[in-house]
Amino acid sequence: MQIDPAIALLLRAGGAALFASAALHKLRGFAYFRVALADYRLVPWWASGLAARSVVAAELATAALLASPLARPLGFAAAAGLLTAYSLAIAVNLLRGRSQIDCGCFGPAHRAPLGVSLLARNAVLGSLALLGLAPIAERPLVALDALTAAGGVALLALVYASANRLLENAPHLRALRGGS
Amino acid sequence: MTDALVVSNVLLWVAVIALAAVVLALVRQIGVLHERVAPAGALMTGGGPRVGEPAPRFVGEDLFGRTVELGSADDSGASTLLLFVSPDCPVCKALLPVVRSIAVQEGPRLRVVLASDGPLEAQRRFAEEHGLRAFPYLVSAELGLAHQVAKLPHAVLIDALGIVRAKGLVNTREHLESLFEAQARGVASIQDYVAAGRERTLRGVG
Repeated sequence: MQIDPAIALLLRAGGAALFASAALHKLRGFAYFRVALADYRLVPWWASGLAARSVVAAELATAALLASPLARPLGFAAAAGLLTAYSLAIAVNLLRGRSQIDCGCFGPAHRAPLGVSLLARNAVLGSLALLGLAPIAERPLVALDALTAAGGVALLALVYASANRLLENAPHLRALRGGS
Repeated sequence: MTDALVVSNVLLWVAVIALAAVVLALVRQIGVLHERVAPAGALMTGGGPRVGEPAPRFVGEDLFGRTVELGSADDSGASTLLLFVSPDCPVCKALLPVVRSIAVQEGPRLRVVLASDGPLEAQRRFAEEHGLRAFPYLVSAELGLAHQVAKLPHAVLIDALGIVRAKGLVNTREHLESLFEAQARGVASIQDYVAAGRERTLRGVG
């Protein structure tokens, strides 16, 4: 399967923006992210500072790889790998029954408990990353492609932010409905 | 023909992005509404000494061998913030910097006492790791039982006369500050405040 160069450009720019913003969120609330990460109980508390730094570094590196035109497949592979690792961490804690912990995805101001919806979100993002690995069709880029890429990135960012807000609202809504 | 398609394409992009922005704004508004509906505040759990009642008296040695007295009148006029924590409670760890900053902010008006329960070795490591030597650190199951602590981190604000002024489950800085707010306003908890507000509104309508 081949993908159009405009789509490839959109995926690269969108992916780079996604991982850069994720890393910035974590850096801004780093102390909180460390606690949230330790709460996953995958690494001991003393190692959580290093683990949190590594996650942020990996996200920044992925964003940089996606942004540089030469390292395209590497960037998408790194993105898919990171998303898979996050999903595994979430799945392990869901299986342990620790779904009440904060996912640590959006910083201290916006919390969301773990859930299947987060796994679904990561699966969608992961398949987009895999799509980016496909070879690119030969076609000269024209001016309209710039609009496709820019408009696409703006749209993806808005939809992604909306989806995250919905994930964040979900527990409040459940509480209102009278569930746990 | 191509020009027409380009124009229509540009127009559609603008429309789609405008609609997506509207969706995001709506979702954010829903989030704000949720926050208003459910007030953030230290959640009071049942049991234990009630607000307005004297705190259970307790005298004991802390982790570092210092004698700590709770539930008696304090001659210096300082209130006591009794915070129940545990080495294996991540929210407690996140709250410790907040507690430290509140202790600095309040100065001599507030005495912060930490309380926990469990193996001494783990407690000592926890206290060292998080630099808690500055605070009295009690390890006592009896104290937790006296206050009927169910969920951590649990905070009890005791005034200079040894009377419980506010208490509850505290997950964030806002929750912790709500205890001081409750003491200042003379309400027992955020739930009481909201309930009183509802009564006020009902009376206003009727």
